[in-house]
Amino acid sequence: MSKINKNILRGALLLSYVLIIALVIYVFGAVYSYLNTGADRSKMLHTEVKQIDQYLPEITWQPLTNEGRPIDTQTLTAIENDYLDGWFVKHVAYKTNTTIGIDDYYTESARQNLFNIIAINSKNNTTVVGTTLEHHPTLEFFSEDGQLVVLTDNEVIEYKQIFKDNALITEITEKSSYKVTLLLEDGFWRVRHMVKIKSEPYTVFNSTQPINTTTINGINYYPQATPWAMFGDNFNPDIIASDFELIQSTGLNSIRVFVPYEDFGKSDIDQNKLAQLITLLDLAETANLKVMVTLFDFYGDYSVLDWTLTQQHAKTIINAIKDHEALAVWDIKNEPNLDFESRGKTLVTAWLAHMIDFVKSQDPNHAVTIGWSNAESATILKEKLDLVSFHYYEDLEALDTTFKVLKTKIKDKPIVITEYGLSSYSGLWNPFGNSEDDQAEYHKTIQTVFSEHDIQFMSWTLYDFDKIPKEVVGRLPWRQNAQKHFGFIDENGIRKPSFLFITKKKPSAQQH
Amino acid sequence: MTFKYLYISFISLLLLTSTVVVNTLESDATYTLLTTKREFIAGESIALRFAFTGDSEVLLYASNSYGSILLEPVVNDKELKFMLPEVMSNKSGVFNWQLQTTSHPISGHITIQPKSKIEAIESYLGPPSIEAGGTDYTMLVVIPTDDLDNPLADSTSVTIKHQFLTNTYVSDVMTKNGFAYKNISSETKKGRMLISSSCLDLNSKEFDVNVMPAIPTDFKIDSERIHDYADGNQITTFKTSVIKDRYDNIVSDGTFVTFFITNTAGYKSKTSGTTINGMASANMLHPDFEDQWSVKAYVEGMANSDTIVLNYKQAISDFEVAFSEDNRTLTLGPIQSFMSQRVPDGLTIKLSIYKDGMLVHQPIKDTFNGMAEFYLDKDRYPKGVYDVELKTAGIVKSYKTINL
Repeated sequence: MSKINKNILRGALLLSYVLIIALVIYVFGAVYSYLNTGADRSKMLHTEVKQIDQYLPEITWQPLTNEGRPIDTQTLTAIENDYLDGWFVKHVAYKTNTTIGIDDYYTESARQNLFNIIAINSKNNTTVVGTTLEHHPTLEFFSEDGQLVVLTDNEVIEYKQIFKDNALITEITEKSSYKVTLLLEDGFWRVRHMVKIKSEPYTVFNSTQPINTTTINGINYYPQATPWAMFGDNFNPDIIASDFELIQSTGLNSIRVFVPYEDFGKSDIDQNKLAQLITLLDLAETANLKVMVTLFDFYGDYSVLDWTLTQQHAKTIINAIKDHEALAVWDIKNEPNLDFESRGKTLVTAWLAHMIDFVKSQDPNHAVTIGWSNAESATILKEKLDLVSFHYYEDLEALDTTFKVLKTKIKDKPIVITEYGLSSYSGLWNPFGNSEDDQAEYHKTIQTVFSEHDIQFMSWTLYDFDKIPKEVVGRLPWRQNAQKHFGFIDENGIRKPSFLFITKKKPSAQQH
Repeated sequence: MTFKYLYISFISLLLLTSTVVVNTLESDATYTLLTTKREFIAGESIALRFAFTGDSEVLLYASNSYGSILLEPVVNDKELKFMLPEVMSNKSGVFNWQLQTTSHPISGHITIQPKSKIEAIESYLGPPSIEAGGTDYTMLVVIPTDDLDNPLADSTSVTIKHQFLTNTYVSDVMTKNGFAYKNISSETKKGRMLISSSCLDLNSKEFDVNVMPAIPTDFKIDSERIHDYADGNQITTFKTSVIKDRYDNIVSDGTFVTFFITNTAGYKSKTSGTTINGMASANMLHPDFEDQWSVKAYVEGMANSDTIVLNYKQAISDFEVAFSEDNRTLTLGPIQSFMSQRVPDGLTIKLSIYKDGMLVHQPIKDTFNGMAEFYLDKDRYPKGVYDVELKTAGIVKSYKTINL
């Protein structure tokens, strides 16, 4: 017995030695590795600064005819980056009334001017949330030793929201020009002098465009298998082609598709997906369908400092497809009024207003609309839009009045209902839901209303879906299930009774 | 209790009517700018005055070159006065404002000119050294600023002065875009140039620029040696002539010169030196056998010398070899040089040992006191017949079928 005890004791002792030694080794190791860590040498060169797109206003250099030393592209790019970063840190500083980052982009005496303004603003509890949307710099001078540049930044479009005690006082859009002197210090091009030489309030002249389609009789389109995720690996041109043929055969003449903002790469557009979008337009053209392209799907930031990125996103997409025959209308954003509550109506509206101007500046030849989620919001920004569109999921009986009321408010612009429909879901989560016959009845009735008032329409949607991403209606099963059954064709490919009323004309294709 | 209700209802009625009154006032509010001056000088006290009827609770959005603020008015009878803080009134440039009225905001701008009194001259000079000859130049950039750190108005005259050798030059330049600059070219002589500037009676400090000689032109070389024997011990020194640029300036000290030596067999060696006062020198050990060297020097990529030829005479005519009894110890020497003196220590001797026509080993030894000794170890060279060959100072001696 005592022998066993002794062995246990021995074992315990041995184990404790092992543990102590392990601990000692660990401590030494930790101390050693701590003493061996330090500043990474690469940090000296600023090479580790990751290039994240955070500020991308439109910048157009005037032809280079500067005095002094001829400039090379690399230096010009370095100057451009640091100069724009200078603006960016300034915007952040005025937004937060802090001085982070100012030191890097303004020389010692220049930064004092910013600090003074920040001091006044924080004392008065004023914040300035601003951004610049366009720059047109002219390089005036580059010194022989490559340490000093002078540029005139012409017609800088500045947008500012001024808050006092967290209440929005005003929105300002200005067009200003600046003379800027920059010095190369510590590897940064820093602002030494900045003198505003011109400034005037800026308003965009908006020309309205007629829609270049006849009457929109269309449908919102997603392939059955990949709703809200048709681009990328899931992209299947064969399915889309046959769907388009089907849509065309029913007598519809247009479709509405969505370009998700993040999925398309935000400011840095995924070229592969862009190519797929072009393919989709090609297929639509083949099927003789016009396309309403809805930009900024699932975008929800709207913050003023994010505007330049959205601008860059829109620019790339618009310029890739603006000359496409199948393109009919730009829908800036799907149901942005749903973000009014969380992001603030002023902010969302300001972004929309800017984006309308921007889209029109990039493509003056196509009509622009916003797909409001209800008729009440449809008057917002109506003077800027070429086409007023809203979504109608409310009571059918009220449609007649709603439309008439809206028509009195919007006299001179076409009005299109770009989403409407009825879910034919009735089941566990909604036992008193509508049947497929109810759905057919709904579409039959609504088509009569459309004919009566000559309303252009786009229905929701061609197919019933199997899976709805949670971003669309959330995770709640009664919402998910309802959303699955808005189609004219059910999950097995069988046409529902409503298919007969997909448009005013009777579908020419026979039911199979 | 009834009084309390009466009281409350009275107060609320009062509040209601006053709100109504304010509202009506607001909608009727008018504001007119009284300040007529549109141009100010930085540092002046600037106020924007408005005549108004109605609401005095308005803010003024104010924006200058660096940022924007909100201003609150000082109300004086029927006048609103917005005092610009120094932050705004001290900076030159366009200052724009907008009166935040509820109805129709009015806006405008004033121009703030920099002072015409100078406080500082910021000078940027570069590059700090230039090449003589008149094509290269340095650039002086001058930013004159007032005491509020505003660049002075354009078309301010700046005098740029520079001195070189015996001459002093003065020229006037007008500022444009807030700065003035001048390119100052070198002359044909090297030297140091002193540069300064002045503006509105303020003088800058002195800057200097080194005018360096231009690139070297072709030069000559020469050699120096104490004798012409190939003794493998003495040193030959190569020297360049004074290397100059095309304007007769002696090239900068430290100009790197490489001497390339090609011997009879075509092998190349090089040695190098840097110039002091235009001359560079470099050394090379004499060969230890009769040879002819062709030497040419280069300042790489810029200039080169002529070629000189040097002959080295054979210093050692012959040497003696003695084998020990067992043939395992080979003793050379004493090896004698050109005056029959023993050769200096360190002459290289190469022994090649062959067995059955195959090279087995090639030990190398240096002479000491004119002698050298090789020992062929038993363990390394077992019994047998070997051929040996000894080579030094270009002389080869062979011994066939040596029994070990």
